[in-house]
Amino acid sequence: MTAPPAVRAAPKMVTLTIEGRQVTVPEGTNLIEAAKVAGVLVPHYCYHPGLPVAGVCRMCLVDVEKAPKLAPGCATAVAEGQVVHVHSEKAREARKGVLEMLLINHPLDCPICDQSGECELQDYTFQEGRDGSRYREPKRFNPVEDFGGDVLYVTNRCILCTRCVRFMDDVAHEPVLNVSERGDRATIGKFEGADLTHPWAANVVDLCPVGALLSKDFLNKARAWELDRAASVCPNCTQGCNSVLEVRDNVVVRMKPRSNEEVNHFYLCDAGRLDYRWLNRADRADQPLVHTGDGLERSDWEPAIARAAAVLAGKRAYVLASPGLSNEALFLLSQLVQRTGGAGAFRVERGPEAPLAGVPDLALRAERAANVMGAELLGFAKGDAPLSGLNADDVLVIADHDLSQLGAAALEAIDRHRAVIVIGTTLPAGLSHAAVVLPLANVAEEEGTLTNLRGRVQRYFQAKAAPGLARPAWFVLGDLLAATGATEQYWTPGEVFAALAKGHPHFAGMHYDTLGLKGAAPAGALAGAGA
Amino acid sequence: MAPTTRVLDRPTGEVSYLRATLSGMTQTLKHLVNPHKVTVQYPHERESISPRWRGTHRMLTTEDGKAKCVACGLCPTVCPANCIKLVPGEDERGNRYPLVFEIDEFRCIFCGYCQEVCPEEAIHLGRHYENAEYSRASFVYDLERLTAQTHPVSQLWDPTDPKGE
Repeated sequence: MTAPPAVRAAPKMVTLTIEGRQVTVPEGTNLIEAAKVAGVLVPHYCYHPGLPVAGVCRMCLVDVEKAPKLAPGCATAVAEGQVVHVHSEKAREARKGVLEMLLINHPLDCPICDQSGECELQDYTFQEGRDGSRYREPKRFNPVEDFGGDVLYVTNRCILCTRCVRFMDDVAHEPVLNVSERGDRATIGKFEGADLTHPWAANVVDLCPVGALLSKDFLNKARAWELDRAASVCPNCTQGCNSVLEVRDNVVVRMKPRSNEEVNHFYLCDAGRLDYRWLNRADRADQPLVHTGDGLERSDWEPAIARAAAVLAGKRAYVLASPGLSNEALFLLSQLVQRTGGAGAFRVERGPEAPLAGVPDLALRAERAANVMGAELLGFAKGDAPLSGLNADDVLVIADHDLSQLGAAALEAIDRHRAVIVIGTTLPAGLSHAAVVLPLANVAEEEGTLTNLRGRVQRYFQAKAAPGLARPAWFVLGDLLAATGATEQYWTPGEVFAALAKGHPHFAGMHYDTLGLKGAAPAGALAGAGA
Repeated sequence: MAPTTRVLDRPTGEVSYLRATLSGMTQTLKHLVNPHKVTVQYPHERESISPRWRGTHRMLTTEDGKAKCVACGLCPTVCPANCIKLVPGEDERGNRYPLVFEIDEFRCIFCGYCQEVCPEEAIHLGRHYENAEYSRASFVYDLERLTAQTHPVSQLWDPTDPKGE
């Protein structure tokens, strides 16, 4: 495990040779991590960079020259001048034996196992295991157990790596799991009366290298190899955990964590990972609508944008902006506010905060929207009554803001308001008097950047196609600004971000292309300001 | 100079149709009594087909009449013609099974990979060639149709020598 970034007292470096490749790593690094630096994967099960070393699976045995016997890569620290062979005859033979042993009681039910295709037992057996079994005796059998929460435990498939036990003990600090029984009867057990209901407990499903711990939500839904994956950022709270959206037939079927040492390490909370269905909702706005005398009629983009610009002409725009929109969209909305001398506000839904004890500054945050920080930075006022500043002759621009949480009085005010423009992923009920409806792509259907509560700016990528004629928010708002007379034109979200970086100190020095998959912290000393 | 014309006697013995007719008729008469027959009186008679014949699919069932398929997803993955549609689900006993299993027999190229890859020996190609239907849509065989088929299944390899050694 690499040292945490806080203690940078220039660690002593050690040079060693792994599989003929010379690497220099900090003192105290173990052989698995050193081999990663050399580009060599040491097969392992129980070792995980986010968990304490257990050394129980015996899979990471490597051949160290001048050592009397094979050394476990996870528990052996590097030494100066060490020569390590990962794929020597001796090491391969040992791992073959370990695999044969692990498969003794494994049911080999890959065809009905959800882990199939992303299973490390399957991968390593295929790579270097025996092609047949020598075991003729009946296999151990235990029934499937419900661990509570989103987790199902299939005892037969378990290889007892204890990653889940160590996660609950040392990361979640809620020791619920243990290794029950001894010898070949050993299984993962729950403590009496306890359930796996910790708000971060579903991470054990990702940590499990085999198909023993399964997500009930994903059970039998899709095969790992059928999924299209896109790097994203969890849109469900201000923490901004890095995630992967997994899509099958244009439907998001699962959200998994993506590691980022600066934000979420390897984890994603249960509430965040399971709240992805709204990305698939079917009642989307998928066509620009324009209000004629008798109601909203289907239209096309050009007339709808022209109509919206005509409605805005000479009026103040009062923007009700969703705190889930991208920085780019919020920047363009703030431009609209500036051009018309208007104002912008939003309300953010709140829920209980749920920290993960073992990781500093990681929690399911109370504010349940991805870009509250970005919206505030770009001049939108956060408040419980975001419509309080609305004047009667303003144009109310509802930019994907969830109206259901605003309360009856606010809804009535919107209902009475004369000039309303809806720019959003859905057409909220009771807005049939809107002048124009411009359909947007949601966070899974476009790319852009989000700012988390520590000011970190992170990119997300497109995972699926938008319905109908819906377009990304930066595209629609860029067109709308141009129609109201702005001279800037934007062809990519990167260009919008460049304009944002030029005009706002928080984003100064950032570049869309170099944000990469892990994002960038602001240059200033903003860290901690959102706490 | 006027051309001279010479009239030849017709070689009656060589050009007579009688000789050719007789030899032809001999051939016909020979086949009339020859036991080797080529024509098959279909549909009253049928040619026997090879055990490796690859025809339209059949899904085998367990003793209680359910399809053997566990919806592992290998056949739609291996299918080069992309003709298998599979949606996995869970039955009342918590077992994985196919909610939807459809094979488009028009798209199918009858390669037999689905049968070869199937870990449960559920989907098979059939030793069968009478596939006429009244509509195009009925060439998409659903699970009910696939399990209801009764024709013998294809034998892609010799069971006594599965590796072909």
